[in-house]
Amino acid sequence: MGAMSGRPAPIDPRGPRFNQGVLTAGLLVGFLFDWRAVAPIFAAVLFPGAAFGPRYGPFLRLYAEVIKPRLSPPTELEDPRPPRFAAAVGVGFLLGATLAFAAGATALGWVLALIVAALAGLAASTGICVGCEVYLFLARRRGVELA
Amino acid sequence: MFFAVPRLAIVLAIVFALLLATRLYRQWRRRLAADQRPVPRLPAALLDGAERTWVVFTTPMCASCGPVVERLREAEPDARVVTVDATREIPLADAFRVRSAPTVLLADMTGEVQTRLVGAAAVDSYVRSPA
Repeated sequence: MGAMSGRPAPIDPRGPRFNQGVLTAGLLVGFLFDWRAVAPIFAAVLFPGAAFGPRYGPFLRLYAEVIKPRLSPPTELEDPRPPRFAAAVGVGFLLGATLAFAAGATALGWVLALIVAALAGLAASTGICVGCEVYLFLARRRGVELA
Repeated sequence: MFFAVPRLAIVLAIVFALLLATRLYRQWRRRLAADQRPVPRLPAALLDGAERTWVVFTTPMCASCGPVVERLREAEPDARVVTVDATREIPLADAFRVRSAPTVLLADMTGEVQTRLVGAAAVDSYVRSPA
């Protein structure tokens, strides 16, 4: 479908929400134990899904292959581009956190990582995805066909 | 200064804020669902004089909405099918209690809503066997 129409294949919105839930839990636990490696590790985990599509994200893949078959079919599907953009922003923040840790700016590193944790947690628990809204705002300004 | 606050307190504060946001969001959704205001007629600009008009409320992230529009056009070639972006036409979407996309309304030529379908599955089912 995607190749023919120029739009990517729609996805089950519960996949990105699972991904965001794991990200939130991982970053909060990492912060709790001052385990700074959590920032580059989650940047590396988010990157493939953000850059190449949902099937390449480890937790998105885990959801699709292990969890989704045990759930009822999704009632609605969504465009994958907004959550991919949101994940890319998350990668950017986590790379910033990694650089801050490397430069000795620990507090800044954790502030950046906790911003990602809080926004991902909000998206996972309510579906309100700030990064997705930024994508929609930018896409409309650029005239990208969405729905 | 940042680490003067125990880490556990910061984590608990974030978790508490997320739980509070979730609770408030669910309360807001329930309040919207319980809305009992009468449904108005669809504006004449959407109907454009057609006898039957399908109004499909979409959102930019709705991947099911395009196929729903195509399905309706195939099923009822004589009917008018219009789409409304609910995130842009907020007063209109609010007046017709659009809470998710696609929400599909079928109106007669006076704008009175005859049928309301929420979700692609409901549209599929209606098209297969109209009520």
